[in-house]
Amino acid sequence: MSAELAIRNLEKSFNTGKPAVDGVSFTIAPGEIVVLLGPSGCGKTTTLRCVAGLEHPTAGEISLDGDLVSAPAKGILTPPRARNIGMVFQSYAVWPHMTVRQNVTYPLRTRGMTRAAMDAAVAEALDLVDLAIYADRPVTQLSGGQMQRVALARSMVYAPRLLLLDEPLSNLDAQLRLRLRDDLRRIIKRTGLTALYVTHDQQEAVVLGDRIGVMQGGKLRQMATPAEIYNRPADQFVAEFTGASSMLPCRLARRDGEFGTVEMADGSTVEAWMPAAPAIGTAMVLAIRPENALLGAAGGSNHFTAKVHALRYQGTQTIYELDALGGRIEALELGTAARHPQGSEVSLTLPPALTWAYAAAV
Amino acid sequence: MDTEAFPVSTNIIQFPQTWLATATQAGHDRATRHPRPEDVHHPMPTPATSPRLFSRAWSGLLLLILTFLIVYPTGMLLLGALTDANPVVDGFANMRLSLDNFATVLANPTVHAALANSLLACAGGTALAVIIGLFFAWIVVRTDTPFGGFIAAIGMLPLFVPPLVAGVAWAILGSPKTGLLNTVLASMGIGFRFDLYTLSGIIFVFGMYYAPYIYMFTASALRNMDPSLEEAAEISGASAFRTMFTITFPLILPAIVSGMLLSFIVMLGIYGVPATLGAPANIPVLTTYIFQLTSWSPPRYGTAASVAMILMLVTGALVVIQQKVLSGRSYVTVAGKAFRPRTLRLGPWRWFTLALAVIYLFVVVVLPTVALLIAAFRKFLYIRNFDALFDAKQYSWLHFDRLFSNPATVDSIINTMQVGIATALIGGVLAFAVGYTVARTQAPWRRAIDVIATVPVAIPGLVIGVAYLWAWIGLPGGFYGTIWILALAFVARFLPDTVKVLTSSLMQIHRELEEAAWLCGRGTLSTIATITLPLARPGVIAAMTLLFVLSIRELGSSLFLYSSQTMVMAVHLLSYYEGGNFSVTAAFSLVQMVLLAVLIGLTSLATRRATPMDAASGLGRAG
Ligand SMILES: Nc1ncnc2c1ncn2[C@@H]1O[C@H](COP(=O)(O)OP(=O)(O)OP(=O)(O)O)[C@@H](O)[C@H]1O
Ligand SMILES: [Mg+2]
Repeated sequence: MSAELAIRNLEKSFNTGKPAVDGVSFTIAPGEIVVLLGPSGCGKTTTLRCVAGLEHPTAGEISLDGDLVSAPAKGILTPPRARNIGMVFQSYAVWPHMTVRQNVTYPLRTRGMTRAAMDAAVAEALDLVDLAIYADRPVTQLSGGQMQRVALARSMVYAPRLLLLDEPLSNLDAQLRLRLRDDLRRIIKRTGLTALYVTHDQQEAVVLGDRIGVMQGGKLRQMATPAEIYNRPADQFVAEFTGASSMLPCRLARRDGEFGTVEMADGSTVEAWMPAAPAIGTAMVLAIRPENALLGAAGGSNHFTAKVHALRYQGTQTIYELDALGGRIEALELGTAARHPQGSEVSLTLPPALTWAYAAAV
Repeated sequence: MDTEAFPVSTNIIQFPQTWLATATQAGHDRATRHPRPEDVHHPMPTPATSPRLFSRAWSGLLLLILTFLIVYPTGMLLLGALTDANPVVDGFANMRLSLDNFATVLANPTVHAALANSLLACAGGTALAVIIGLFFAWIVVRTDTPFGGFIAAIGMLPLFVPPLVAGVAWAILGSPKTGLLNTVLASMGIGFRFDLYTLSGIIFVFGMYYAPYIYMFTASALRNMDPSLEEAAEISGASAFRTMFTITFPLILPAIVSGMLLSFIVMLGIYGVPATLGAPANIPVLTTYIFQLTSWSPPRYGTAASVAMILMLVTGALVVIQQKVLSGRSYVTVAGKAFRPRTLRLGPWRWFTLALAVIYLFVVVVLPTVALLIAAFRKFLYIRNFDALFDAKQYSWLHFDRLFSNPATVDSIINTMQVGIATALIGGVLAFAVGYTVARTQAPWRRAIDVIATVPVAIPGLVIGVAYLWAWIGLPGGFYGTIWILALAFVARFLPDTVKVLTSSLMQIHRELEEAAWLCGRGTLSTIATITLPLARPGVIAAMTLLFVLSIRELGSSLFLYSSQTMVMAVHLLSYYEGGNFSVTAAFSLVQMVLLAVLIGLTSLATRRATPMDAASGLGRAG
């Protein structure tokens, strides 16, 4: 049933400009949910459509459970209908001229099943998405969230080897999105399907994914568990994209395994985690998330004084813009009261494990 | 035609009483079915004068004009159908109401035959048009057939050809004895002969020339369809073929049906084709029969009016159904989203589809043109064999000389131009007034204005002709027999199309542009003059050209309204044809086509956009 998806060096170029997908490789284990995350136009949808067979890759290989389904070099291109994949489209693509039941039954009609088996499968799928009572409604009379669930039921009813979802929640309002986001993971996990999910919403990615792949400009920058993406971003782009808003120039002074010491513009030194190993003296960038820049005294290393340049009060939290380390650092403080007025001196602690340094882009 | 689809709400003219109503019902944009925030208006200070009185007077004036143009003649037609008097002979004084005309008509076997022939010809023509039009829509929108855009553009040409000219060309090609096609077949030693002087001949020409109509409807439906609907089917395991029949076609069914009904309606009102192809073999249809009734002596105006009523009722019923279909289940429109249509890779088959397209274009564009050219420029249309066709000595401007040496020809061209200009100016102004009032204001009785202005959709040209005849022939004052009666009949007949073109261009002007001018202290009229009209200029020009072009081609209503002083081109052309002179008829057809081409070309240049496409939808409707 659930299959392993393996993508090797996938490349897709359209007639125009640089490739939309550029050498992407990853594997999804059976039953795992992987989320592709990235800014608009980074090639997420194109990757997904290549897996579905709706787009023809220009190079690379895609295999499902070891069967090659796309391999342009070998002239292999299995058409979508023969791949046994389920897909939920961003626009849902529920067929407006059919009822809920007809929509969900449609994929079974070409699979040589008996009437009874079909009915049972449809009933089970509708139960799964909580739509059993709407079975005989025309889909045009459903709400957006319900249509989305029809699309989900339709894509799962034939127990596909793999489920693809392209921003299935992006057309829903914010509240519904939160609810369905949790439902979706529960439903997919219950069926045990392997799933590849595309979104540009980080919260969605974190809640839904067993692993997250961050894409940019057609390339896969990092694929890892949500915790790792947030605590060990592999490069400056991933750090910035996931929310590290402070970037300060610095120079590598000393290196010690995964950690090292960098020298800031004002001469102070900071201990930081660094995934790559550049030469001593290399220009680097120090990246810090506002949540990881701690205000107030704390023991240990990376302890500095900073001056509050400005603050943005946001009700339940306050963001401070601090002058420190020869640059500007954003720090976030929870609570409804802002404790530090503008112009005041505060102490700032940067935990070395959550302070990251990357080689500066040239 | 689908005035239903226009969002009806704005308050450029402010009426205190309607503020509340406006704020709640405003901007229910039917395309998205969600009110947009910018559509909700807030009350604004009103000018000191009484705008309500003004708007009442304005709506009243419009209603009065529309009554004069549309309601009164239609009423007179009904009266005419219900009376046993002849308005010319007896006058209206001794008119008595009776159902005799209907009784006579319903018992008349010729009427039965004409009705049956009409329905058969239109049904057959529609079926053929659907097959060709749908196939072309699919080829152009959904496959990688080479030169798709070129095929689509050339494929629209038939809509610009007046039915009478098409009929003439195909009579020259396919008359059983002297038809050019038969001459070619004979010289190739093939025994088969074409005979287009038959019901199948009429069906063939109908189908060929109205296929672009179906194409327009279905191609845009195919283009606006969310491709993921089909992709979803394919991922579900359906083959391309199955997807086409279970997803694609059902989804565009409303467009197909609505296009079908519309082309059926149009064919029902056409006079030119059955007059050219049906008359020689004595195949009556409703339109030709109505005209026959009025050319007997004494003319049977009452009977003609009742047959016209029947034609109008059938048409009206079809229009109502068509509106229902169009508004009922349109799945396809998804607002504000541009889809990249899926194209099917046909592989080597794309040369086959290209060949089919080329054949169609050859049959519908090249063959008739060549036929007209040969007939117009050859000294004698009799062609002994294939080789004689290329004998240069046989060709000359002889027939054109003969055509223009007839003073009636030049007169008819001048008359046509006068009527055209009058129609374009009067119709353009009226249509703008109607379109603006209905689409952009809260004026009272807008709904009634809208409905009356749309009614002529259901009235074939010929019926308008009979109605105007009844409305004016018995009245003193000499209005009947002037070019004005022609112009007013044309204005009435084409009002729905003109309003539609104008309204769609008004819709593109964002309401806030007008509101801004209004906030700057401009009044309603001043805003229209300084903001709306300049912005809507392309639409206004398109609408006026459309009117001009339509009135040049209009045959059906002219037949009943011309006099010897006001002979127009279309009627003059028909009289040449009926006089049996194919060569001069062909020459005159070419003159008319060149005139139309120049006009349409000039307008496209002037408005710098695809006016022909806009115009095409209106042109198709004209008989
Ligand atoms: N059919 C196509 N023809 C040409 N270019 C295309 C086509 N489809 C996608 N592209 C280009 O490929 C790039 C990646 O597009 P893709 O749809 O995969 O982005 P995405 O990551 O899904 O973005 P979004 O989050 O906005 O949906 C874009 O630059 C886009 O313009
Ligand atoms: Mg996308």
